[in-house]
Amino acid sequence: MKFTLSWLKEYIDVAIEPQVLADHLTMLGLEVDSVDRLNEHLAPIALARIEDVQPHPDADKLTVCSANVNGEILQVVCGAPNARAGMITAIALPGTTLPSGMKIKKSKVRGVKSAGMFCSEIELGIGDDQSGIIDLPADTDINGTFIQAMDLDDTLIEVDLTPNRPDCASVVGIAREIAGFTGAKMHLPVKQIPVLSNANVPFTVKVEDAACPRYTARLLKNVTVGPSPWWLRKRLVAVGLRPVNNVVDITNLVMLGMGQPLHAFDFAKLKDSAIVVRTARKGESIETLDGGKRDLDEDMLLICDSEKPVAVAGVMGGANSEVSDSTTEILLESAYFDPISIRRTARRLNMSTDASYRFERGIDPEGTQKAMERAVELLVDIAGAEVVEDGYDVCGDLPLSVCINLRVSRTNSLLGINLTAVQITKYLQDIELAVSQKDDDTLTVCPPSFRVDLEREVDLIEEVARLEGYNDIPTSHPTVPLTFSEQQHGRDFHDQVATIMCTLGFYETITYSFISEKLIDMFTPGQDSVKLMNPLSEDQAVMRTSLLPGLLDSARRNLNQQNTDFRLFETGKVFLADSDVTVQPTEKIHLCAVMNGRRHPGAEELYFGMDSGDFFDMKGSVEQLLRELRLDGIVSTIDSEQSNPLCSAFDPALSVAFGANGTVIGGYGRIEKNILMANEIKHELLGLYIDLDALLALQSQAKQFKSLPKFPSVRRDVALLVPDGTPAGDIIEAVKESKEKLMENVAIFDIYQGKSIKAGYKSVAFSVLYRSPTKTLKDKQVDKVHTKIVNRIIDRFNGTLRTD
Amino acid sequence: MFVCTLPLFGKGGFYTLINFICRLRILVSLNMEEELLRLKDEALATLDGLSDPAGLEPFRVNYLGRKGQFTLMLRSLGSAPPEERPKLGKLSNQIKKELENAYTAKQAALQSIQLTTATAGGLDTSLPGRSIPFGKRHPVSQVMKEVCAVFESLGFSVAEGPDVELDYYNFEALNIPQHHPARDMHDTFYVNEGVLLRTHTSPMQIRTMENQEPPLRMIAPGKVYRCDSDITHTPMFHQVEGFLVDTHVSFADLKGVLSIFCQKMFDENIKLRFRPSFFPFTEPSAEVDIGCVICGAKGCRVCKQTGWLEILGAGMIDPEVFKKVGYDPEKYSGFAFGLGIERIAMLKYGIDDIRLFYENDLRFLSQF
Repeated sequence: MKFTLSWLKEYIDVAIEPQVLADHLTMLGLEVDSVDRLNEHLAPIALARIEDVQPHPDADKLTVCSANVNGEILQVVCGAPNARAGMITAIALPGTTLPSGMKIKKSKVRGVKSAGMFCSEIELGIGDDQSGIIDLPADTDINGTFIQAMDLDDTLIEVDLTPNRPDCASVVGIAREIAGFTGAKMHLPVKQIPVLSNANVPFTVKVEDAACPRYTARLLKNVTVGPSPWWLRKRLVAVGLRPVNNVVDITNLVMLGMGQPLHAFDFAKLKDSAIVVRTARKGESIETLDGGKRDLDEDMLLICDSEKPVAVAGVMGGANSEVSDSTTEILLESAYFDPISIRRTARRLNMSTDASYRFERGIDPEGTQKAMERAVELLVDIAGAEVVEDGYDVCGDLPLSVCINLRVSRTNSLLGINLTAVQITKYLQDIELAVSQKDDDTLTVCPPSFRVDLEREVDLIEEVARLEGYNDIPTSHPTVPLTFSEQQHGRDFHDQVATIMCTLGFYETITYSFISEKLIDMFTPGQDSVKLMNPLSEDQAVMRTSLLPGLLDSARRNLNQQNTDFRLFETGKVFLADSDVTVQPTEKIHLCAVMNGRRHPGAEELYFGMDSGDFFDMKGSVEQLLRELRLDGIVSTIDSEQSNPLCSAFDPALSVAFGANGTVIGGYGRIEKNILMANEIKHELLGLYIDLDALLALQSQAKQFKSLPKFPSVRRDVALLVPDGTPAGDIIEAVKESKEKLMENVAIFDIYQGKSIKAGYKSVAFSVLYRSPTKTLKDKQVDKVHTKIVNRIIDRFNGTLRTD
Repeated sequence: MFVCTLPLFGKGGFYTLINFICRLRILVSLNMEEELLRLKDEALATLDGLSDPAGLEPFRVNYLGRKGQFTLMLRSLGSAPPEERPKLGKLSNQIKKELENAYTAKQAALQSIQLTTATAGGLDTSLPGRSIPFGKRHPVSQVMKEVCAVFESLGFSVAEGPDVELDYYNFEALNIPQHHPARDMHDTFYVNEGVLLRTHTSPMQIRTMENQEPPLRMIAPGKVYRCDSDITHTPMFHQVEGFLVDTHVSFADLKGVLSIFCQKMFDENIKLRFRPSFFPFTEPSAEVDIGCVICGAKGCRVCKQTGWLEILGAGMIDPEVFKKVGYDPEKYSGFAFGLGIERIAMLKYGIDDIRLFYENDLRFLSQF
């Protein structure tokens, strides 16, 4: 809601600085968005009285004028057709910059010197008129400034209205709020409201639908349609409305001033001089004033003549009954429409107008006639209209304002304050609420008709709080029983996972929950997804079923920014749709990570070199994560022949699936090349994917102390030659499984192929640690066990002892 | 050296020798004490004069080593008269300890000098340290944790709830019926007529109250969605919604709890103001502003010259909401509040474009 200070002053005497006023309004719940001094940039524009006009010697359409500017006679070349001697107009002198950015300089126009430029409204950005230069009244004081002459000094205030305060969508409404805290007197356009009779009027109004509980209409004749006077145009332009003609401008002015939308029909265009308020018929359509053709639904409320729609009720008029320059008779409508009906129609037609905004929030049900009379008065004054006596005032079931009981005790306890009935009464009366004492603790409060938001006791309590001032309400702390605060299941776990990932060098990312539909099949073939009805773009049309597309997107972004060394991860929800779309999808929390580039991104090249991370870096990260979560003994590698959706993006040639109890819960490895290509990534990324919900469901290993060993261990190293394809991990597993009591640990320390190793074989060197819990081992004892184990491994893996 | 410097040996005969030995015993005990002290002074002076760590080792060998002067002297203690030996023993132990301490202290002193001298001893200590960098949590996660921690410290529980929500929980039950103008405040993504992406985490109020009786203190952090995208809006962002319900909870209590929050999140002396606003699920409703943290409440572009920044929406839970979950609004009262995590992160860290949060550029992520 925008208004100017000058407009406000028409309704109330305010003598407060605009910024102070704005602060007051904000603290009353009418949040002021901006306070702007208007037209400051026009200060350099001066006034000029044209003393003489001569034709330009070299151009037919130009004149050479001499003008009196600040007592000095200047020669100005002018192209305007309306320049005449004796005219007072605006002049931009050299050095002035016009709103268009044009800079005025002393110049020669077709060989004739010009010391400035006379300006039109449009050149000064104060109106649409470009027919000629501004023509000020002859009695204008040319020693004053242009801003004074045009009465342009004003302040624009914009209030961000909350939906519960439609009464403040008018200058009068704002003035009432100000009166509430300043006590200043209001000057309402006091009108004698005539009782309208439709007995002898030359038109008919028939309301056929309950969504229009009030319809007031009057007829005006001999209207001269034309441009509005300057003061009216200025007022509309200041708040961002384009002046159209005097009739339309007056209806807009009254709407903004009083909050009641009005509509003027060209009476001659109404078939049978009839107005019928009804819902649309099947297949009906209308061309609205904005030029759009609107197909109408059968529950949309219309204003019609005897055969066709002439307006979409409360939203916009029809082109077929638009007031034009040739209009001489207008039918003026001032109505109350059902908010829900208007809102539904406006939403469905995707139209939001100043009128629909007010109707759908609820205008003053008793304000129709006041606004009508104000508009009639202006039409008579400005457009020379003659008002036809009487008119229609069809009144149905208007929403009644009800009186509400307000308990003083309840008010105080809910707000944490201590006001008396007298104080509360004063507050409420200040904003025009009628208050009477019902009993010791209870006030009966009757809100005025325009406060459609006040329906319940708690609404009044809010008014009291607002008027007391939120900042004047004391501050206290609730006294509540001590209870254990339960945290969301898994919250700590997810946090722990993220922390471990960070210590492993991964940066956390957050990507959008929606992705392009085509990615669903690429990453989770066959999975049903949740589709949005109104996505912002194709790329954000469905809820993700995998975290990987988002992470690849982040990876690509970084690669494009030359951040090629990275470890990234995200933990977040994926959405797995049910075939029944009316139920909510299953939301699961997954973890996804990708890595590229150097083994340790950001680590000193001096010490860590430029080696790229590989499969084992990802494997190590996974192992470390599981170890930290105490799940290392519980989660193990799974040979998953079937393609599991969690692993479907990994290259089968270089990836591993893992899980527990036979169920896959994740995987890691190289991401499929075609997936990377499809996401415009040329690097070979390694990925990790885990169903965190499944991981959370596993029972982690309890912490259990084991006594520290009392006796020393003995290490034996051995190198075996085994056939090339033998997984070294199997050898280690086999050693572990040997169940020799003295064997404590085994670890690979070298893999070698090359010179001195026969073809088709590789050398696997590992160390075995032996220890007895009861004594210091002697070499002989160790040798015995070690030989046994080594021989067993040699047998099992077709190996030989490496002897070189 | 003491023994070798004796000039008596070559001149006299046997007697002289015997005499010498007898006299020597006395002499030795006297001289040994002197010599020990002399040796101590000499060693300390040498040590004091050292300025290069390279001199430390020769010093140690010369005085304290196995064949060092001091050790040799100790060995010769046996030649002292038996009655003198305990005294000399005590003295020599004392001196040895003293010398060792002095040596250690000098060693430490020279090493620390070395560390502060870049190229001392051939090691270039100006080279970078060696470590493997950690990754970092996303700034949104960091701020989210911080916000939650304040409320958890105040005894609030945490519950998250679904992102794809029913219209009932997101709107109806929160007193936002179909065709209510308040729905304009939420540009909603719909999945179908009754299912949508939650526009706030307030549905958790309803879900919790449906299943639990007061007293309740809870926050609901999570992602929320609105179809809006520009420099200050992303279609997905993060919110923390919270509420407290019990008998006799007042607006003054709301002010108290949210004041604590703002003080802990920003500054103990932060300027605060509460002003009326409107939310369909609270009455009275409030916006909470803090003094602009960018300009120190003087007025700048970020605070639109007002000196204030909107930080929280809040209010007393509307009786209609209590009725929906079967609470008696005459018996219970409570307050609810909500805040946007990105907005707080932007203010705290001076980030000027919300879209940066979701681009995950490492140059951005690594700053927090």
